[in-house]
Amino acid sequence: MSSQIRASTASAPVRPARPSGLRWTLPALAFVMLFFVVPVAALLLRSITEPAFGLQNYVALLGSSTYLKIFVNTFLVSAVVTVISLTIGFPVAWALAIMPGRLASVIFAILLLSMWTNLLARTYAWMVLLQRTGLINKMLIGMGLIDQPLPLVNNLVGVTIGMTYIMLPFIILPLYGVIRKIDPAILQAAALCGATRWQSLVRVLLPLALPGMAAGALMVFVMSLGYFVTPALLGGTANMMLAELIAQFVQSLVNWGMGGAAALLLLVVTLALYAVQLRFAGDQRLGDR
Amino acid sequence: MLLDFQRLGWWKYALLAISLLTAAFLLLPILFIAALSFGSSQWLIFPPPGWTLKWYADFFADPRWLQSAWTSFQIAAIVTVLSVLLGLVTSFGLVRGKFLFRETLRALFLTPMILPVVVLAVGLYAFFLQIGLNGTMLGFVIAHLVLALPFSILSIGKALEGFDKSIEDAAVLCGASPLEAKIRVTLPAISHGLFSAAIFSFLTSWDEVVVAIFMSSPTLQTLPVKVWATLRQDLTPVVAAASTLLILLTVILMALFALVRKGLKS
Repeated sequence: MSSQIRASTASAPVRPARPSGLRWTLPALAFVMLFFVVPVAALLLRSITEPAFGLQNYVALLGSSTYLKIFVNTFLVSAVVTVISLTIGFPVAWALAIMPGRLASVIFAILLLSMWTNLLARTYAWMVLLQRTGLINKMLIGMGLIDQPLPLVNNLVGVTIGMTYIMLPFIILPLYGVIRKIDPAILQAAALCGATRWQSLVRVLLPLALPGMAAGALMVFVMSLGYFVTPALLGGTANMMLAELIAQFVQSLVNWGMGGAAALLLLVVTLALYAVQLRFAGDQRLGDR
Repeated sequence: MLLDFQRLGWWKYALLAISLLTAAFLLLPILFIAALSFGSSQWLIFPPPGWTLKWYADFFADPRWLQSAWTSFQIAAIVTVLSVLLGLVTSFGLVRGKFLFRETLRALFLTPMILPVVVLAVGLYAFFLQIGLNGTMLGFVIAHLVLALPFSILSIGKALEGFDKSIEDAAVLCGASPLEAKIRVTLPAISHGLFSAAIFSFLTSWDEVVVAIFMSSPTLQTLPVKVWATLRQDLTPVVAAASTLLILLTVILMALFALVRKGLKS
């Protein structure tokens, strides 16, 4: 409307192309280019130029059993965290989607509080809870389940517990959205057609929620792959994960070539899995209505 | 019928039980830390043998803790202002503009959110070593702005998309200059987006530790870096006190956020 008015008062073309839109994004574009794209690209480039041009860093990275163990650790922990989060997260999201509003809002508040509480504070809590003299071991001994305290920190068990704690809200919230969008009439129809609850769950509800579950699970898996703080504090030095390896290459070993190669590996896996995740999220949007 | 809470039979109780257990699992460690920070046991025994404010006294008596908290606050405040301003300008371009590769550009702006932070941290560390920004306030601000900006673009963009542009056009028709119409009509209408952008930006910077570890120097540390460095040595209860203060700030900001949302809705 305004363009018509302006066109009648000035001799401007009626529908001016809007270069203004692009112009407004230029400051942010320059910023993101200079301080995000270029530094990350430069880091990745160093993986094939340092110490000499070639793929020697990748050969060293993929050919060594030390690094292989780190990759396996990373994938294993991320996979286990994802499976546990999904197994717990699905019923919780389901319950949240249908439970009375007041109770649901209390649980939501707890989810958000946990998500936004400082990551170090949460990790610290688990370091204290899981240590040899910590509350968990004391309770297990008190209940007579074990005689000796279990080693729960400085190993992958600790990392898995701590990471699951952090990832749970990240899977519950999107799953909640997915289940909320499912039309209850579909499940009513299943019940009317004589499906038992178990049949409804396995053959109707789960398949309907599946794209959302896949998208959520992939997101949690990818986030876990690149996690740094929690594995470093709960895993100890002997159980390194990929993000720590990158940091160690750069900080302690000052080996930019290897650091860049490990970063590229993490980046490629991350972006590839995100591409898959977007497809699942896209399918889900198509299925909405 | 599985999506009707009242008609789930005993499954209802199973779902309720697992939800409550999960909520407890998420909440208890946070309460545990808060309780420990008042406990008198140096070795973090729980339940504590007695109660004390010693760890808070230690925290406030040590200039390094206070200094790092102040540094964190300054960085987070500057990042918040810059992130909202830049996010606002960029959102106008992304929402209102029609140009080639607009969606690609939007995706590029959001990428720092999904990329492993350690990659950004190491990349910026290398870059800042070369241009001398490592261990400076400016370096911290730039690094945290990269991470905070996507949250601003998301929040403000969403608010702007929900705003009917013809209202702004009406103001222009009534004689306001385009800029005046934006400031006096559009900005108040999208203030909830600006507010969420500010809170998310602040918390992103205030809580961030991975990039901060790389940016920090012995003389310039943020609070999370100080917590990190302390935790690598021992599990002193002073960290419980520091964590509780961090949790308190989160709770206050979340409550503020909820209040403003409620206020805007009614």
